[in-house]
Amino acid sequence: MILGPFLMIGLTIGISYVSANSTSKSHEIAVISDSQPMRQAYLQQNSDNVNRKIQTTKAAKAAMADNQLAGYLTFDTSDQLVQGDYHGNNAMGSGLKAQVQNFLTGYQQVQNYQQAKLTPKQQKLLARTPVLKTHIVSKNGTANLAKIISFWVLVTLIYIILITYSSITAQEIASEKGTKIMEIIFSSTTATSYFVGKILGILLVIATQIIIYLLGGWAGYAIATRNATVSPLITQNQALIDTVIHNLLSLNLLYLFLGVIIYTILAAYSGALVARAEDASKAAQPVIMLGMFGFFATFPFQNNMDAFLVKILSYVPFFSSYFMPMRIINGHVGLGEQLSSLAVLVVAIALFSIYIGKQYQRLMLQTDSQSLWQHLFHSIRHR
Amino acid sequence: MLSIQHISKHFETVKALNDVSFDVPNGQILGLIGQNGAGKSTTFHSILNFIQYEGQIQWQGHSLSADDFNQIGYLPEERSLMTKLTIEQQIIYLARLKGKSAKEIRPQIDDWLTRFAVKGTRKSKIKDLSKGNQQKVQLICTLIHEPTLLILDEPFSGLDPVNADLLKQAILAAKDRGAAIIFSSHDMENVSALCDQLVMLRKGDVVLHGTLDEVRNQFGKSELYVTTDWSQAQLADLPHVQVVESRHGRHYLLHLDDPAAGPAIFDALTQGHYIEEFSQQPPSLDAIFRMKVGETNV
Repeated sequence: MILGPFLMIGLTIGISYVSANSTSKSHEIAVISDSQPMRQAYLQQNSDNVNRKIQTTKAAKAAMADNQLAGYLTFDTSDQLVQGDYHGNNAMGSGLKAQVQNFLTGYQQVQNYQQAKLTPKQQKLLARTPVLKTHIVSKNGTANLAKIISFWVLVTLIYIILITYSSITAQEIASEKGTKIMEIIFSSTTATSYFVGKILGILLVIATQIIIYLLGGWAGYAIATRNATVSPLITQNQALIDTVIHNLLSLNLLYLFLGVIIYTILAAYSGALVARAEDASKAAQPVIMLGMFGFFATFPFQNNMDAFLVKILSYVPFFSSYFMPMRIINGHVGLGEQLSSLAVLVVAIALFSIYIGKQYQRLMLQTDSQSLWQHLFHSIRHR
Repeated sequence: MLSIQHISKHFETVKALNDVSFDVPNGQILGLIGQNGAGKSTTFHSILNFIQYEGQIQWQGHSLSADDFNQIGYLPEERSLMTKLTIEQQIIYLARLKGKSAKEIRPQIDDWLTRFAVKGTRKSKIKDLSKGNQQKVQLICTLIHEPTLLILDEPFSGLDPVNADLLKQAILAAKDRGAAIIFSSHDMENVSALCDQLVMLRKGDVVLHGTLDEVRNQFGKSELYVTTDWSQAQLADLPHVQVVESRHGRHYLLHLDDPAAGPAIFDALTQGHYIEEFSQQPPSLDAIFRMKVGETNV
């Protein structure tokens, strides 16, 4: 499960590589011309995806029939007019079309200049083109993009971890419900100790997963910076990447972890509330619904951080893990407010653990057929 | 000593225990008998604080708390182990919960497996063991940390006579160590063989309590075991003989309506001659159990 994303990425890269290799030949074209200078001129400008070996129409047709060639270009000049013809199984791609059009325009221009017998100065004057410059305040642009990326990465990460482990936790606890091994365990240790131990165990697994992902991400980044194809892209977007990493490796990571803790405890409680072990699959549903609600509730407020509801929810446990990081990323909140929200979350986790720890033995040893809601009301009534 | 004083428990409108009291001194075995639903498991659950109850339960003079957990060995009625673990992992896991270290327990495992004749090695997975062998592993888990309070709910259930004897030896060894032992059973033979005292529950009430002899003698010596050449009809004609049961061959069991009639029957039967068997006894525990259960159905 933990290695799943790495396997998926590896598989995608592998499949793309194999696919690229196997299809590369059928993407090639041949360039055929009676005028060798013209052919060479094209090949000098556009060397990619050209099969240089094929120089005759006959050979090109044969290669197309074998699906080894996507098409072929023929160039010739009659009456000082340069002409190109493309023969292919499919229409020309826009990239190829632009390349060919560029080449033909340039080549025709050279021919025209030669015919017109212009002086170099005249040629230079005719070659002038207008200038269009764009001016973007790059710092603001990068920061905004970084916020959007950070928000989505963080919220999605919280959601995925939460959904995965809520389900595992609830099922794990529910599967022990009513079993006699629980009687043996509760004759050996207190229910609170067992409950806290169980939650700590699950959290260590989650922490291991997060650490593995961080290391995997770091290794992937290190490899990418050394890759000739990707590294220019990274250099170009270094400021953006640094901001996203900074947004993620901050107090937000703590929110992620604490959010997962409180949802895991709730999942354990749900697991303990089911009527019998066979109902384990139902146990996680309320937690998953709450997690989904928090996740989707963030969507409408992405561009409205000052909304009163956002401020309120950024302090409410179960929702603060989504909403406070959102405000932190957007720089809409001071450190005092962040720490207050964290304190509320930590206290809620502690109180929630103590409350469930006290109920845990009674819930786990209960083997009647009450529904989850009946158990919930019963446990509240007897708290 | 385990002391249970006036405990009562109600589940909604159902009375599960009603003013139950008894003591289990250290180094003694108490058998808890009764029909299904009589309140035996509820008594155990009360001792272990699994449920809330009225009354008082004390262990060594104080209320049983988490500090006493390491002294308890508990075997629940239905067996349940962690089937994915190996025998060694399971034993060590539960022993560590009882405050023992893996280092202490690991060297003892093979000895216990041999003592209980478990078919499997310490590396065998629990799920690969037969039901009987899983039960023996559970017994080992209950006993290996040498508890001083042993609570066994139907420990003989599902064991063949050979394995039942192995368990009896283990229980007696714990008694010799000075453990206070309380166990429930439907098998009166095991209760008779092991218990220093017994308590019979019926619908949550204590209906019998005392040593085996005390309990049996409450019913008078109304059973007469004889071996004679007399016919069943002749025996039935004897005074105060209510029923004659043929045991096998010349062996009979006579039920008397008056235990004082014993000497007169002896005289009539022997007429001054040798008789191979003449034994006047109180009813067996099995007969008492049936009798007491029968009272409820009247």
